[in-house]
Amino acid sequence: MTFSIGRREFLMGSTALAAAAALGGPARAAAERMRLIFWGGQARADRTYGVTDLYTKASGTAIEGDFAAFGDYWPKLATQVAGGNSPDVIQMDYRYIVEYATRGSIAPLDEFVGNALDLSDFDADQLEGGKVDGKLYGISLGANSAANLLNVAAFEEAGVELPTRDFSYADLPALAEKFNSGNKRAGMKVWSDNSFLEPALENFLRQRGKALYTADGQLAFDVEDAVAWFQLWADLRAAGVTVSPEDQALDANDAIETTMITLGKAASTYAHSNQLVGFQAANKDPLTLINYPRIAAGTGGGHYRKPSMFFSVGGSSTIKEDAAKFINFFIGTAEAGAILGVERGIPCDASTRAAIAPGLDAQSQAALSYVSNLGDLLGALPPPPPQAAGEISNPLLRTKAQEVGFGQLTPEQGGEQFHAEAAAILARAKQS
Amino acid sequence: MTAHSIGATNAPVVRAVPSVWRRLWDANAGGYLFLLPWFIGFLGLTIGPMISSLYLSFTNFDLLTPARWVGLDNYTRIFTADPKFAQSMRVTLFFVLFSVPLKLAFALCIALLLNRGMRGLPVYRAIFYLPSLLGASVAIAVLWRQLFAGDGVVNDLLAVFGIEGPSWISNPRYSLWTLIILAIWQFGSPMIIFLAGLRQIPQDMYEAASLDGASKWRMFWKITLPLLTPVVFFNAIIQTIEGFKSFTPAFIISGGNGSPINSTLFYTLYLYQEAFAFFRMGYASALAWILLAIVAVFTAFSFLTSRYWVHYEQ
Repeated sequence: MTFSIGRREFLMGSTALAAAAALGGPARAAAERMRLIFWGGQARADRTYGVTDLYTKASGTAIEGDFAAFGDYWPKLATQVAGGNSPDVIQMDYRYIVEYATRGSIAPLDEFVGNALDLSDFDADQLEGGKVDGKLYGISLGANSAANLLNVAAFEEAGVELPTRDFSYADLPALAEKFNSGNKRAGMKVWSDNSFLEPALENFLRQRGKALYTADGQLAFDVEDAVAWFQLWADLRAAGVTVSPEDQALDANDAIETTMITLGKAASTYAHSNQLVGFQAANKDPLTLINYPRIAAGTGGGHYRKPSMFFSVGGSSTIKEDAAKFINFFIGTAEAGAILGVERGIPCDASTRAAIAPGLDAQSQAALSYVSNLGDLLGALPPPPPQAAGEISNPLLRTKAQEVGFGQLTPEQGGEQFHAEAAAILARAKQS
Repeated sequence: MTAHSIGATNAPVVRAVPSVWRRLWDANAGGYLFLLPWFIGFLGLTIGPMISSLYLSFTNFDLLTPARWVGLDNYTRIFTADPKFAQSMRVTLFFVLFSVPLKLAFALCIALLLNRGMRGLPVYRAIFYLPSLLGASVAIAVLWRQLFAGDGVVNDLLAVFGIEGPSWISNPRYSLWTLIILAIWQFGSPMIIFLAGLRQIPQDMYEAASLDGASKWRMFWKITLPLLTPVVFFNAIIQTIEGFKSFTPAFIISGGNGSPINSTLFYTLYLYQEAFAFFRMGYASALAWILLAIVAVFTAFSFLTSRYWVHYEQ
């Protein structure tokens, strides 16, 4: 009997070998089971479980996954952590990483770097984003940036050219005039009313040389900045650029399904680059993405490459090394990368990125090229937001933007109240 | 039992105590055994959490760090420095004040219609009850969003009459009313209770009244309504409590944040936000106890006034 190995068998065998090597060899028995928790929808869950199945085959560690929508995720996670029942691998957000790290609810991973975790090809800025007080607490699962999604078909039908990267807010009224006269779709405006969106306000502030928060968790903008923000949108509203406040209020919880672009009420909507995939799934018309407008010709630095989400290891996990190995598999192997795509953002590991790039569809390619080519639009990563930032983003900013939109407050009052109440929320969080 | 050990030290007093327990136990042992599963659940799942919630209402607790005692701070803040508490109270009171009487009136009208001895009553009764089964569900709340949106069915109907309606659910002037209408639509359970109440009214009273030449309208005001007041009273109390506790429709329709402009910020929604969006469990616990007190005051008030308007036979 002759012994022969075909091309396919060889490939599979070598992949398994490579995987085994990546797992650190048989020196120590792998954990039998590991718990993983993440937020996202079904599409993300399918991709994630595709990778955990692969990992289970390669390592013998069974992975129990659990997921919830972003809003439901944090109460669920906090309850598990408080009950001493923390998962081993935890999907973590830039907004919460400091809070969880300083309380010891997630573990520093520095001891695993170089052995269980191979980060030699990992983007430096994304690695930095996962650090708290100099220690590594989160491994970024992808980079993304704020982006304005455009309905290509609606622009074409109206005979209007798509905005370019040099587009500024001052160009919007003229664009709207062209769009409104050529538009074929009933009740559609060119722009969403994005005055309630924290990333939009942050982008605006950064272009003014300010920021939302300082590194020590204070407000990094003044009343006049907030007034200018609400005034900007009041002017756009008056010029017929944006949807009505009533329509915009239908978008009550940032779900893709209720955004103005998906409801067909606007030809564009502010979101994040990795969400192009999800938005396209919910929209019939072809979409593309562009940066947020500049506040004046030539200003930049509003955008940044944000770690869209991290994997962290539970502080009370008894199998931290195994968890680190799983994270390494998740971010650093081509097989995992091929399944995950850019749904969680652009992979931060250069070799993974190179391995998956040729197989991406046009949308994913567009997102990849957008995040890679921000150029002068790109600024430094801001410090992680303070604990109470979530409350300032929603409901405070949303409510004030609606009050100005519905004419219950002037932009001046809106700006003053937003600044004062945001400061009060920060002070209250500091106190407790 | 322990009677022997205690009885040895202090015989005269203690002998009476175990004998009372003993007699209760002997008489009802079977009953207590059957009660046990419920009782364990009652202690573990209701009383236990209530006591810990009462304790937590005097603390700052964010789930991740241990609770810290702050005395009356939470309560002081709620009553003196919390505009959202006042706003959520206004929204909830407005909702209860309009939805409860309108719902009861509607339920009574349907019950009167169904009480005329028509054929197929069980079918109609079931159909009219259906919304009450579905009403508090997420699916109906989502449906409501669709119905009352700017390009929803309601505005399509209005357009037939040449009226251009606003986007009802996302306009702060009307959003709460869509929730009140949703509550009225769930008139099924008070309707069933009204129906049962109407059946209890002796027919000879109507016969006597019609012999005296009373009109239907007069009979309703002079016979039906007075004799139905115990049922009205019961329904009013139950629906008021339900109204204060209403959560799901507002949560779904407002996207979980009382949008637009806090116009649908129900008390329970605000409580949920504090607990599960901002992780202020202590503060949320204090809010929960205040809600309990408010509902208790309303119920007590209803009972105190009931003797002036509720008529029991004999």
